[in-house]
Amino acid sequence: MRKISQRLSGRNVLFLALLMALVGVFVVDIYRLEPLLKPLEYLYLFFALLLVFYGIYPLYVHRRLTRYYWERVKKHRLAVAGLAFIVFLVGVAIIGPFLTADPTMVNFKEKNIPPLGFSIQQSLYDVSSDKFITTEITGTAQHPLGTDDKGRDMLAMLVSGARVSLQVGLLATLIAIIIGTILGVVSAYLGGWADNALMRFTDVMMTFPFFLLLVFIIFIFGPSLAFIILAIGLTGWTGTARLVRSDALSLRTREFITAAKSLGVSDTRIVFRHLIPNVLSPVIVITTLSIPGVILAEAALSFIGLGDPTVTSWGVILQAGQRSLDTTWWVAVEPGILLFLTVLAFNFLGDGLRDAFDPRSQL
Amino acid sequence: MDGVLEVRHLKTYFFTRLGVVKAVDDVSFILRKGECLCLVGESGCGKTTAALSILRLVDSPPGRIVAGEILYQGKDLRRVSDEELRRIRGNRIAMIFQDPQSSLNPVFPVGDQISEPLRLHLKLKKGSALERSQQLMTQVGIPQAEERRRDYPHQLSGGMKQRVMIATALSCQPEVIIADEPMAALDTTIKAQILDILVTLKQSRELSLLFITHDFGIVAGIADRVAVMYGGKIVESGTREDVFDHPSHPYTLGLLNCLPKIAGQRGQLTPIPGTIPSLIEPPQGCIFHPRCERCLPVCTKEVPHEVTISGEHVVACHLYPGGGEG
Repeated sequence: MRKISQRLSGRNVLFLALLMALVGVFVVDIYRLEPLLKPLEYLYLFFALLLVFYGIYPLYVHRRLTRYYWERVKKHRLAVAGLAFIVFLVGVAIIGPFLTADPTMVNFKEKNIPPLGFSIQQSLYDVSSDKFITTEITGTAQHPLGTDDKGRDMLAMLVSGARVSLQVGLLATLIAIIIGTILGVVSAYLGGWADNALMRFTDVMMTFPFFLLLVFIIFIFGPSLAFIILAIGLTGWTGTARLVRSDALSLRTREFITAAKSLGVSDTRIVFRHLIPNVLSPVIVITTLSIPGVILAEAALSFIGLGDPTVTSWGVILQAGQRSLDTTWWVAVEPGILLFLTVLAFNFLGDGLRDAFDPRSQL
Repeated sequence: MDGVLEVRHLKTYFFTRLGVVKAVDDVSFILRKGECLCLVGESGCGKTTAALSILRLVDSPPGRIVAGEILYQGKDLRRVSDEELRRIRGNRIAMIFQDPQSSLNPVFPVGDQISEPLRLHLKLKKGSALERSQQLMTQVGIPQAEERRRDYPHQLSGGMKQRVMIATALSCQPEVIIADEPMAALDTTIKAQILDILVTLKQSRELSLLFITHDFGIVAGIADRVAVMYGGKIVESGTREDVFDHPSHPYTLGLLNCLPKIAGQRGQLTPIPGTIPSLIEPPQGCIFHPRCERCLPVCTKEVPHEVTISGEHVVACHLYPGGGEG
């Protein structure tokens, strides 16, 4: 035990301690009648910890470098706009659900209300007079984005949908990126038959129809959000692995790796301390560029009815709305616009980061 | 007379698609305590491969040490476990590389890189390792070490980076330093400064230095003994005086003739004709014979054996009688 703690720095020890605490609470929580948090939320907390310790903390420690890259990203207006939108969305996803109405509350008296500033003609069958009465419904400030055909508040639904979409996008991408990066770097570093075996495995995973696999997994395990995240994460690492491997291959022959070996650095340490930090800039770019893909994949799954029915993701709302696109158009259009903006924001940010990290680009 | 590091009949081959490159072919030398041994030769004669072989750093595949012994403290480094070798690397035997530009990890501040072996081998805590690395930086002549240690490699000049490399190599107070052309990428004034640092350290710490270079100016300045390599073999070795005052192998003579002389006659330099031979299919007999001005009939057929001329002065050439028997 002492030997292990000697090898780890303070940050790793603290991270492990918090992780163990989290696992402890989780284990106790399983046996409680009313669980404190859902399993997915534990996964979320785990990644939040990971992000703080290995994302935000290093950025803070290397302030000078962070500032340098921020200066470069700042020159990319669209990237900054994208980042602002993402930050806004994350804020909405985290605190929004506490401020808005219950997104699952059904109220048939207030159904099909258009967004504020719009009004629609609606023909209703009146039982007492046995006639169709055409009424005009206008948007109200109480439901600024309108309501759907069951009277649920669109704003509340979209806000809770943002949480789902971001959860799926971030978690699944993180899983995929971590697997892909480690596999790619290890494969490049080991070389020889190990490299061959790992890369052929990647090829097989790549040729496997991802969507079919997803449908299959969901068919077996049921449409739970956690499984959707795991399924997307566990299949989506192939591109990252290939890209990281090609990057690491050129790094492996660089002299600083031989120099590290000549200092007695172990293979594991070379992979994690010397190679991975050097491939991080492409990895960050791939991360931002693959998050929108994952969000869209979840939306698509929900759209074809394979999403988790217990959560209102943007895809679920979109799917519900497209049946009545000619009358209550806003139900489909609103999540559509949000999806569009989110995907665009991540892409802009990814482009900006790519330019900022590329030493050859003139900024 | 016992050496700190002794290499015996080392053979390192590269197994390429075109054939076997015998980069190091039966090389033996001794490095004694507090002594500097210079390994001299043209590019591509196997100097670097010989140096990398000592710590088993030759890329494998395609390279492999096929024979020989590398004795350090009575242990054969060819046969020790990876774990044991890791404890020697950087700790007891350290290396300085040719190109400071690419030998430092671009994403870490240099202070962290100097402290890495300290934390690895001496198990120092991060804070004290950084403190120690700052002292080391001052020692190798880096001004404002406190601020410089937070710099990334790209923020330092070539000379400063080479000093960082030296500081890293020195960090665990090794017995042996293998320096692979550490001046190749530096300009003359910096070269002199770095050379000075190394000589001082060698004397003050009884460091053994295996110095690899093609620059006879450096050899004259630093070497106690010299080994001249050609085509993967050592063709002549001896003390600095032996080699400089009585160069015996035609190749050594040729190398020395390539140097411009400050004193004496001005004239054209005499280059050695031809280029180094392919090490996949080396010439029969003496590997130098196609370029040798004094080639004898026997040179094309038989590999010359090592002949002791005087004291430690050994040469492998048919011009010296007694070569046939070895």
